[in-house]
Amino acid sequence: MLPRELFLALIIGLFCCANAVAQSPFAPKVSGPLSQRVVAYQIDAKYNPAQHTVDATETLTYHNLTGQPLDRFPFHLYLNAFQPKSTWMREAHRDGSFRSSDFETWDPKEFGSNEVSFFEVVGMGDLTKQMKFISPDDGNADDKTVFEVKLPHPVAPGQDVQFRIKFRATFPEVVARTGYKRNFLLAGQWFPKVGVWWHGAWNCHQFHALTEFFADFGTYDVKITLPKNYVIGATGVQIGDTDNGNGTKTVAFHAEDVHDFAWTADPNFKVIESQFDGSVGPVKIRLLSYTSHKGSWQRYVDVMKGSMQRFDQWYGPYPYAQITVVDPPHGAGEAGGMEYPTFITAGTDWFAFRGDHETEGVTAHEFGHQYWYGMVATNEFENGWLDEGINSYSEVKVLDNMYGRNASGWNLLGAQLGDASYLRGYYLPVADTDSLARPSYTDMSSGSYGGVTYGKAAMMLLSLEAIIGEQTLKNALHTYFLKYRFTHPTQEDFLRTVNEVAGRDLKWYWDQVVYGTEVFDYSVLRADSNPTNWYEKDAEEKPGETTYETQVILQRKGDFVFPVEAEIKFDNGESTRVRWDGKDRWVRYVYYKKAQVKSVELDPDHRIMLDRNYLNNSYTTEEQRGGTTKIATYWLFLTQFLAHFLSWLV
Amino acid sequence: MEGDNRRLMAAGARLVWRRRGLLWWVFAVNFLLGVMGTFPMARELNRALRHSLEGEQLFKGFDLGMFYELVRLPEVELLRFTTSSYGFAALFALFMLFVSGGILETYRQGRRRISTGDFFAASGAFFWRFVRLMLFSLVPFALLGNAYLGLETASDYLGDKAVADQVGFVVWLAGVIVLVLTTLFVRLWFDIAKVDAVARDERRMLRSAWKGIDITRQQVRALLWMYLRISLVAWITLLIAFLIWMKLPPTAVPVTFVLLELVVLVQLGARLWQMASLTIWYQRRAEGVSVGSTDFAVAPQVAIEPEPQLPLYPDLELPPADA
Repeated sequence: MLPRELFLALIIGLFCCANAVAQSPFAPKVSGPLSQRVVAYQIDAKYNPAQHTVDATETLTYHNLTGQPLDRFPFHLYLNAFQPKSTWMREAHRDGSFRSSDFETWDPKEFGSNEVSFFEVVGMGDLTKQMKFISPDDGNADDKTVFEVKLPHPVAPGQDVQFRIKFRATFPEVVARTGYKRNFLLAGQWFPKVGVWWHGAWNCHQFHALTEFFADFGTYDVKITLPKNYVIGATGVQIGDTDNGNGTKTVAFHAEDVHDFAWTADPNFKVIESQFDGSVGPVKIRLLSYTSHKGSWQRYVDVMKGSMQRFDQWYGPYPYAQITVVDPPHGAGEAGGMEYPTFITAGTDWFAFRGDHETEGVTAHEFGHQYWYGMVATNEFENGWLDEGINSYSEVKVLDNMYGRNASGWNLLGAQLGDASYLRGYYLPVADTDSLARPSYTDMSSGSYGGVTYGKAAMMLLSLEAIIGEQTLKNALHTYFLKYRFTHPTQEDFLRTVNEVAGRDLKWYWDQVVYGTEVFDYSVLRADSNPTNWYEKDAEEKPGETTYETQVILQRKGDFVFPVEAEIKFDNGESTRVRWDGKDRWVRYVYYKKAQVKSVELDPDHRIMLDRNYLNNSYTTEEQRGGTTKIATYWLFLTQFLAHFLSWLV
Repeated sequence: MEGDNRRLMAAGARLVWRRRGLLWWVFAVNFLLGVMGTFPMARELNRALRHSLEGEQLFKGFDLGMFYELVRLPEVELLRFTTSSYGFAALFALFMLFVSGGILETYRQGRRRISTGDFFAASGAFFWRFVRLMLFSLVPFALLGNAYLGLETASDYLGDKAVADQVGFVVWLAGVIVLVLTTLFVRLWFDIAKVDAVARDERRMLRSAWKGIDITRQQVRALLWMYLRISLVAWITLLIAFLIWMKLPPTAVPVTFVLLELVVLVQLGARLWQMASLTIWYQRRAEGVSVGSTDFAVAPQVAIEPEPQLPLYPDLELPPADA
């Protein structure tokens, strides 16, 4: 039996050792590993706010789990996209705009770069001179967003290889989700990142304007040295904070089972912490915002908790210990609305009105990415919709559940907008451009990319509810998430999962909506009633006594074949619903009743959001003037007011 | 000064009321031209919505998604009808330019009615003169327009540099307030020029313009304050109407229509009120009644040399009888 003092010392020692081990990056009931950890990054970085640069040393341990020897390794250097001759800049300029920036002229502040000064493979020597830029997608020799290194001898299957890289990241003024603004920095895609061995080959695309990212799961241990007065937030959890005594501090972060690492810093950040109690234990919500946005702090917290609760219930648990939410400062909107593992950027304004749910919308959307991008982690270069589209759909579900279907986007000044309608607004102008299956970076334009990967995909899933039911689709997403998280599934994996859970083959639907570009448009072509005794001389029409032949013709104007429902109402109060398979170009329904048709409406439950023209989906025999009169009243007033204003000037 | 100002405004209001037929006519023309500007849009909209249930979403609430679909529908393309609205609004401005002479002459006559013929004769006589005056006024208004652009650039720049979001907005707001007051000053200046032109049947508009700036400079406090107060009445009415509108149900279209037309009527009435008050002020000044001085009790008599009275219609030179 140990003496009491020795026993006590042992207990204290054990306690100290337990605390010396890094704070777990997971929620209490979760322990890793959750993924196949292909990579382990250790980065020591020093941030220079005056120059907007980071000088760093990166040690990357790559586990060769490909099953074959590898002697060639490609790396992403994403920040090199922000140079005039890069593929990204070429495409953004050609398109005329990207997010909220236009690239009509070159602004030197938009310059960014990743410069590698030293590249060593441990055990194989200095290979800096062996680095070669490649452009596998478009052959643009001026594009430096991918480089490749050939090793003197291959890395055998199952073996590890370690890279030591010294680099400098120079950030542009905030553009395309990364960069600085005044004292604020959002460091995204800032370090050399190895490509993904994907289906038997390296998948390491150049950075295109119309794409996001793809990387392997692993662990990250990152130390960032920066001025002491800066507040910092990052992927993972903070495990250390050391005052260097020279006006700087070094903050250490640790993350496991993630595929990227981003961070942010600003001396003006205010930290607001709260907690979500999920099914696997409490999760810390760390909001980094500004005093001028104080009016939105509670809104952020409310929508985060609401989103986390619904995702937890509907799709599965959020397994990490923390989620960091960054509210970019004014003027840095380009850094907002973006996702990184356990780290999202949202956005608000100091005057954000309560009925304008843009703050809530972007936050719910970016949180949703933690599931589809962060954990399921599909290839965003090639199947952008699997992340953006599924996430847009789940965003609609969350917001509709929290704020009501018709007002989840906007409810102010007598006007309403549902979140689904908001997304539909992106889809409508590009309903006939690109297919979902097309690699996103080859889409026609940024409008098409946004409209198709976000809008069309969301409309596709919302319309799918009309076939298999909302609950079945929810179950399918739940199954898809649990089965494929941390595994980089393909779109075929997703489609197959939906088929399996729905218990039917939906190939007819996927062929049109995912692989095809068929346009969906059904209309009510005709609806009228005529007395059957039309041939009688002096025949009188008597309500309730005269028999009418009612003819209703529905038409398929587009190429998309889809079963539709129509509701036919009569002036005696009767109504009937018909279901048409939509295969022919038109169908006629005839009724003989002592009543006349009053109205016909396709999709009376308003579930088919793919239909590109709602205005031809109904027909009423009685003229509807309410909408016209209302708009004309306001238009008249505006015209009169403008007239008065002009007369005041003269 | 404050008491004088109030009395002046009250006198102006009484004059507008006494000649309220003018206000009704102006409002009627404004309404008619507004209807003409709105009609093409309403017709297309009716064609699209007449037999559609989707219009309900715009009537029972106002679904922005449905409105967007309507706006971008090729058959409707709502935005192209703004041209029609701009056109008829410009026509109203031209109309007001034309009848300004008649309005000012009516107010100048005070209690004496003028006939419709004299009204339009005065309108016609002063129309081209006021067109010239308007062209002169484009210079300061254009400068103000450029000043606004400069203000936007400056507020964007300062806002971009500041940590707090509101800095840019505050700078912009302060600048806008200054620019609004300056615009009011310019309006006042050229209104005085018009009043002076009508009072003296002045043909040389540059002279009236110089006189206008001169008088405005001397009496800026009193007159600008009077103009601002009348404008405030119009803006407050707009705000009250907005607050009432917020409480109305979305389907209360007839009530909304009446409310909006009342707002237009008040805006037009406020403009006539400014013109009437200014005319009265000018007349009292010409009669030597000191209005607007800081100390009414000891205000000096303002001696104004009478200008040579030119006939309204100059005699025609007749050719010699034996030509």
